[in-house]
Amino acid sequence: MLGSKGGVWGLAVSGLVLMAAANADGAFAKEKVKIAFVGPLTGSNSQHGIGGRNSAELAVKLKNADPATKYEYELVALDDECKPNVAVQVVTKIASDNSIVVAVPHYCSAAAIATVDIFHRFKLPMVIWAAVLPQITYAKKVPEIHRVSGTLIGQNRVGAQFMKERGYKTFVSFADSTDYGKSMNEYFTKFTNENKNEILGAFAVPPDQQDVSAELTRIKELNPQVIYFGGLTPLGTRVRTQMEKLGITAQLEGNSGIMGDAFISAVGPELAEGTLTFFDSPPLSKMPGGKFFSDNYTKAGYTQSPEAYGPFAFAATNLVMEEIERVGPNRAKITEALGKVKDRPSIIGPITFDDYGQNITPLTTKYVVQDGKWTIWEESEYATGKRKLKNLP
Amino acid sequence: MTVTSMKGTAGQIVSSILVTALLVGSLVAVLEIEDQRALGICVAIIAGLSFLAPKLGILRGAEQAGAHHPWAVRLIILIGFCSLVLILKDNNFALLMIATILIYATVCLGITIQTGYAGLFNFAGAAFLGTGGYTAAMLANATWLPDIVTILLGGVIAAALGTVLILPVLRTRGHYAALTTLAFGVLFNGFLEANEMLGGPQGLKVPGIQIFGWDFSNDLVIGSLSFSFYANYVLLIGAIFALFMIFTRFIERSWIGIWLDAVRLDEIAVSVFGLRISVWKSFAFTAGNFLAGVMGAVYAKMTEFIAPANFTFGDSLLLVAIVLLGGIGNRWGVLVATMIVILLPEKLQFIQEYRLLLFACIIILLLMVRPAGLLARRVRVFEERH
Amino acid sequence: MSSIAQYLLNGLMQGTIYGLVAIGFTIFFGVMNVIKFSHGDVLTFGAFGGLVAAWAATALGFPIWLELVFVVLISVMASAAIGAIIARGLVLPLKDAPPLNMLLMTMMVGTAIRECIRLFFPNGTNPQRFPELLPSGGFDLSGVYFRYDGLILIAAGIAFIFAVQWIINRTRLGLAIRAVAEDGETARTMGINFTLTVAIAFAIGSMTAGVAGALYGLYYSEINYSMGLILAIIGFSAAIIGGLGNIWGAIVGGYLFAGLQTAVVALLPALSDYKNVIALIVVVALIAWRPTGLLAERGSERV
Repeated sequence: MLGSKGGVWGLAVSGLVLMAAANADGAFAKEKVKIAFVGPLTGSNSQHGIGGRNSAELAVKLKNADPATKYEYELVALDDECKPNVAVQVVTKIASDNSIVVAVPHYCSAAAIATVDIFHRFKLPMVIWAAVLPQITYAKKVPEIHRVSGTLIGQNRVGAQFMKERGYKTFVSFADSTDYGKSMNEYFTKFTNENKNEILGAFAVPPDQQDVSAELTRIKELNPQVIYFGGLTPLGTRVRTQMEKLGITAQLEGNSGIMGDAFISAVGPELAEGTLTFFDSPPLSKMPGGKFFSDNYTKAGYTQSPEAYGPFAFAATNLVMEEIERVGPNRAKITEALGKVKDRPSIIGPITFDDYGQNITPLTTKYVVQDGKWTIWEESEYATGKRKLKNLP
Repeated sequence: MTVTSMKGTAGQIVSSILVTALLVGSLVAVLEIEDQRALGICVAIIAGLSFLAPKLGILRGAEQAGAHHPWAVRLIILIGFCSLVLILKDNNFALLMIATILIYATVCLGITIQTGYAGLFNFAGAAFLGTGGYTAAMLANATWLPDIVTILLGGVIAAALGTVLILPVLRTRGHYAALTTLAFGVLFNGFLEANEMLGGPQGLKVPGIQIFGWDFSNDLVIGSLSFSFYANYVLLIGAIFALFMIFTRFIERSWIGIWLDAVRLDEIAVSVFGLRISVWKSFAFTAGNFLAGVMGAVYAKMTEFIAPANFTFGDSLLLVAIVLLGGIGNRWGVLVATMIVILLPEKLQFIQEYRLLLFACIIILLLMVRPAGLLARRVRVFEERH
Repeated sequence: MSSIAQYLLNGLMQGTIYGLVAIGFTIFFGVMNVIKFSHGDVLTFGAFGGLVAAWAATALGFPIWLELVFVVLISVMASAAIGAIIARGLVLPLKDAPPLNMLLMTMMVGTAIRECIRLFFPNGTNPQRFPELLPSGGFDLSGVYFRYDGLILIAAGIAFIFAVQWIINRTRLGLAIRAVAEDGETARTMGINFTLTVAIAFAIGSMTAGVAGALYGLYYSEINYSMGLILAIIGFSAAIIGGLGNIWGAIVGGYLFAGLQTAVVALLPALSDYKNVIALIVVVALIAWRPTGLLAERGSERV
């Protein structure tokens, strides 16, 4: 150990030299621009938050590596814990920090709904990367609010239509009791009823409930052809494994919440086989730049997967940086520029914001698990008839 | 400066000015400094000063000043508070944090009355905070009702809801009592999540405060000075906090406080002396819940949004942690502990996903090193009141 | 009719897990007069230990019966080890502190364990698949689906409960533990190693969590980092309703809680969102009615 005074002084001096060097460097460097990222970095949704944070960070790193950019970007990542009061706190923090010019916030809808007014009050433009509740953008027109993720209306419309075309008639809805699950159930019910199909029962349980066998026993009595699941991966895993334990053979219809490799690895490829999902983006490998993203994500050495919404965070971060390059780091100008985004290519498909700031061109895609992989329906052996979904009439 | 020089009126007043300045200065420094290295140095200095203060007798001096010259001390605190608001006048975030600290500190005063004075555990603090908040949200459409009444109703309804628990709390002791409140807190949260009328898990919007045409969501303008709109809330919450500090002090120093102490320390002996234990326990429990409810209503109106996720078991735990860290039963300890518990996770944002882990470790460490809390409550000394 | 039996079976499985967790709470309370709230997270720790063991066993090519034994053994040992470490390092030094300190401390220890699993276990935030090591399938008896693994696990759980009961009441070690529980000072003067006995008692209590964790993983085929918190709340409730310090009380409490939850879903399906709310309301009501639990604790100090 450097126990002596000399050691301490040495450290202090070298620190000063370093600081001076950094300053000298700064004289030639590009102007620094700060972008905020907000998502759940702790708590039970943190895999999504961390995946999104990593993806946004990757976008910034790649941009900074490009010598042609006008600015040097810095990502400020903050944890909203998926709680509205914490979200209000962190958004107030970034909004009152004038060095931050734009934000890429929120995975959870409850957090997003609580902060819409704060972004508006402080005139901080933002692009939501993952929260899917329709009211966030559609409750009222707020110029600062934009969203690249689709609302959950689209996926349910596509899903209900798809199930009707297969000839399924009886359904049971099983959702988590969060805002997400409840809205999922709402739109599932709406579109299923419009298609003249029958819903035999609806169940809602807290997302952290471990044992769902009591609910599933009741569902077994109802004997539906399809169990619709509206919730996130952890609960979806329990539903799928416990269905098996009770000998329930219904077809499982999922949604964006279970999209991702985590679901398949948690239930195992045998049980996951044949599970359906409707998600607002084609697979990365199909998108221009998608392979570039996944290759770089692996290369950057992140241990946590980007999860389903990582590419959305990547696209949103890239989008705001593109706008900054064009109009400069000014909140009002970025707000205006974001409002005009139309057919902008990205790894999640072209982005076009409507008057409410909602991306209206999400490419809702049908997926089915085949041999332990999410496969596009049209390319699967299920579509060709080689394999069959369960309970097909 | 020596220990002796801090005795006498002048010494006491100087001490209280120093302590107030230390608190205000620390708050400003911690809230204004963003750079990690500067913040680290600053926290080290604050820790050093806090360590030094009791050694120089400053803390003791300030304490005695509070006992002998309460109004002088209150004036000093008022000046300190006003200068705090003045310094941070357009820093929205800093003012929001100060308002949050004062809200939690007030709620913890309530729990101090319950746990510190009457010896009742309350692991459902967040539930009573939530009751106040949801009351404010439900009354949002009743615009004819002045907001002051709404806020008070938040307290009344929280206190009323608490009466449901009085029977089990009175009949049980120790861990059994802890479980009743713990179970209540968990079931309250479950109820909010499941109940559609109360907005379900998505939560509800709550309008901001308006008192006699004074709209709290507009920036505050005094003369030529313009303050962030959060300054409105800081002033209101500061006033409520001061009121309840005085109320708690009154309870502690009156016969009620002595009875409560007696009830906590030896129930059997007290019942022999004919004191009605159940009455005083119920009083303490209800008073504490009232405080939580009032602040819940104000909190909801300030953040303009509430959801069940704000009122979980973890949040109740946070309240208990504050009371414990402050030193059970010490009012000023509550304020200091709240500052630490609220600001620490916020200032730990830079370590992102590791922050909850570090927070848990710091609390464990504090419990090991200072089991009696940062500022332990003094045993009653009756000679102090001349 | 058939579904009633099905509900009963589900309830029985959950009740066994709750009962095992509750026994831990009751042992800690009996020995040290403390509530160790990190117990649920010790369970999670054990289950994750079992998962790692399963991975290792698969890599080493163990036959399935050996893998099963290995998984259960490692789960139990992992829980016992961390339980003893918590007892020695954190609970004993604070044994004279107020009960509130202990409660908060152990809750924070639980949080720390939970966060460590989430952050440092590979992909720890995601649910993990627990291998199926028991014979799968089952038989249908007049409409009730009996799973072999369910039946085996319920039997194993109940057998373990009896084993713990036997250790505490019939062995020399159990005698030492009961002596320490009765009066630590006197036990010490009788030549009992106080610190060691307490650590062993905590290890035994934590073993029940390890067994519950392994049962949980084997039955549900899925474990996750946050499963311990709600199990701790339920286990604590069960121990309290039964009467702290009473092993049979803990078991009664466990089955009662599971029964309540199942009954709400079976009888009032419209209120299934409220099943925990209703179960906890009954818990509060029960405590108001019997303030020291259904099977009252020995030597209760009520006057």
